[in-house]
Amino acid sequence: MSEQTTVEKEDTQLNEQTKEWQPSILAILCNWCSYAGADLAGSARMQYPETVRIVRVPCSGRADPMFVLKGFQKGFDGVMVLGCHPGDCHYAKGNYYARRRIAMTQDLLKALGIPAERFHFEWVSASEGNRFSALIKEFTRQLQELGPFEGVDR
Amino acid sequence: MIQDTIRQEAKKALESGEVRMVIGWGAGSVPFKTTPVFVDNPQDTDKLIWNPACTNNLAVYLTKLARDGKVGIVAKPCDVRSIVTLIREKQVKRENVFIIGVGCGGVVDATSLQNGDVKLREITSLEWDGGDLLVTTETTKTKLSAAAVLREQCKECDDRTPSVSDVSIGEAVVRASDLKIEIPGLSEDRQKYWAEQFSRCIRCYACRQVCPACYCETCFCDRIEPKWTAKKATTDEAWMFHATRAMHLVGRCISCGECERVCPVGIPAVELARELNAIAKERYGFEAGDPQADKPLLGNYQENDVDPAHHSE
Amino acid sequence: MADKLIGKDKIGDFLKALMSKYTVVAPIERGDAPAEFQEIADGDTPVLDGSKNMMPPKDYLLPRHEVLVKIDMSGGETKVETPLPEDKPRVIMGAWLPDAQGIQVLDRVFLDRKFIDPYYARRRENLALVAVIPAEMRWSWFCGSVDDVDTWKAGVDALMYDLGDKFYVEVNSDKGAALLEGAPMSVVSDVDVAAKDKLWTEFKNTGLLPFAGKALYENLAWDDPVWGEIADKCIACGMCSYMCPTCTCFDIQDETCGNCVERYRCRDTCQFEDFTLMGHGHNPRSTQLPRSRQRLLHKFRYQHEQFGVVGCTGCGRCVELCPVNVDIREVLCRTCAEPMEQAAEN
Repeated sequence: MSEQTTVEKEDTQLNEQTKEWQPSILAILCNWCSYAGADLAGSARMQYPETVRIVRVPCSGRADPMFVLKGFQKGFDGVMVLGCHPGDCHYAKGNYYARRRIAMTQDLLKALGIPAERFHFEWVSASEGNRFSALIKEFTRQLQELGPFEGVDR
Repeated sequence: MIQDTIRQEAKKALESGEVRMVIGWGAGSVPFKTTPVFVDNPQDTDKLIWNPACTNNLAVYLTKLARDGKVGIVAKPCDVRSIVTLIREKQVKRENVFIIGVGCGGVVDATSLQNGDVKLREITSLEWDGGDLLVTTETTKTKLSAAAVLREQCKECDDRTPSVSDVSIGEAVVRASDLKIEIPGLSEDRQKYWAEQFSRCIRCYACRQVCPACYCETCFCDRIEPKWTAKKATTDEAWMFHATRAMHLVGRCISCGECERVCPVGIPAVELARELNAIAKERYGFEAGDPQADKPLLGNYQENDVDPAHHSE
Repeated sequence: MADKLIGKDKIGDFLKALMSKYTVVAPIERGDAPAEFQEIADGDTPVLDGSKNMMPPKDYLLPRHEVLVKIDMSGGETKVETPLPEDKPRVIMGAWLPDAQGIQVLDRVFLDRKFIDPYYARRRENLALVAVIPAEMRWSWFCGSVDDVDTWKAGVDALMYDLGDKFYVEVNSDKGAALLEGAPMSVVSDVDVAAKDKLWTEFKNTGLLPFAGKALYENLAWDDPVWGEIADKCIACGMCSYMCPTCTCFDIQDETCGNCVERYRCRDTCQFEDFTLMGHGHNPRSTQLPRSRQRLLHKFRYQHEQFGVVGCTGCGRCVELCPVNVDIREVLCRTCAEPMEQAAEN
């Protein structure tokens, strides 16, 4: 992969304090639940690694599989999609559509040989700030175990 | 003979004024190829042919030609599956298509004929002789086994009669059974395998253009804003193109394998969609070519669908 | 230099010696996919006898993706770099003669006129061309119909004829002579000359069609109904252009990422709808008909008017690969041969 197409290098720098490699995570968050959950984590000063770059979408149903693919093409070490719990969608059924779509996206990534551990899909509600911060910690740790993503063209 | 019946049915449909045109296969520039023909005059129906080289999935023309008014189309069972998909996705109206369905036991991959003693240049005709392909030249007749000459996608196909048709011609034919599609190297390191495949991509878009399911007016990769994939033929951009195309084909691809056939650099693009379709069938009971399915796979859901979430606490 | 023979068993040694002085570019096999012209390294076994399906050598001279300018602003100051290819002596081996002739067409576009393309020029300078006539002609070739193939020999530095266990090597220039200096070659006998002449005659007559010379570029008509017939079938992919040894069209795009800009060149083709799409939305070739017409008229008429060469070398790739079997030979028979017959009748 040429330098121009990789995610900016600062994303994959070593953490100053821990000297541990920090992965870069693309997180696609539904506006009504998951983004609010992330917000809660922030306003409640819950600590989580600064590895994550959040893209806010109106609904997990808006999380186009192409966002996920583009994330991997551009060299993110991990991609996650978070949405409202089934039954809680602000638009009644957006996350039901997302559920099928994301399930097929997981299968596509598998077919393409992208390790399943690099993609994370989860339901996170607006009150689950704790859970959001735990998720990021866990995903970061998981990616640290895997190491940097070599890119789709290795 | 099947070919005569195709011509008769096409003639009838044109003479009665039911259709303004019949899309079918015509003689190619060489005897081992065929070419799409568009017959709009009952006198020209003898341009229509049926032989083992009728590979093209003609449904690709329907979105353009069946928009206003009714057209006839000669279709193999796989082509019919494409038509079914186009109707379900409201790209073509059922009342605008007159389907002349033809039973099929697989078609031939012209390039595979080169193996062995046969010289492509000398071939004068191809015909089925039971489970064998009879290749005739000026001086010789050679029999090649179906297993050796069938197109890859035809090997595992068991859809031998059209599921939907206005006229059905020919019977279910079994040329060879228990054949398996073989994709050497795919089972090993998949990420490496696809990177190697896509590194060859020249971005000619033949796979997309030949695909009846790729009916978008403007493809995502022709968009400048947002720029989903750059025009350059680098491996990562080609990966983005093929991966997205595969995702877009989930629940649409009917595994006719045209994309694989036309690829000038031999990328088995159909494999991704085929794999995903097998999963969709098992998990959601959905098949792209199934006339009973009324909604597209990803335009539908059940409350008890499998949940892909990780549920980590 | 007189013609020489080289045994196929000696080719390995010859290549090795050649690689010490030149960068050798030759077709490398890639499984079922067409072989690709690449700079070869020790241990590679390129296809030199022309027996395999291969990408056109333009893939090397005019890469599918080539960075023209790099602008880097990351360090606070703006650095501009134009990454020209390395200046070094190269030799292309194993190109079919029609493909080698295709390079002549590329030269007209990139070197002949007022502007010399520095990137192309860099790869083309110091480039020796060794073409091959394979033992067996491809079914799709029609070289003898598009041009006087005897004139093509002047464009290559050496021409190898595959005579089974050996190559007959014809040297056509000083460059070619220098290339073969010290090669393990033997003198030719009358039998070899006869075998070579036979192969040449076969090449000349392969796929000969009922038109030639002037008819090709004079009889192509703008309003021929054949363009509409092609356009009906054509699915508008770019395969014919991208696989063509002479199609030169490219696009230039800028890409940014953070603090850098990359300007690159990539392939483009008149067959794509957006090829002529203007910024304000108008498209002068808004349907497939003018696009189909453009490709053929450009090859056979405009390029001849502009440069005096025919922009098709009869390599047959589009004939073999067109997904809907639009056969350029048939089209030419319709557009060139039929008017010829009519003229003869009158």
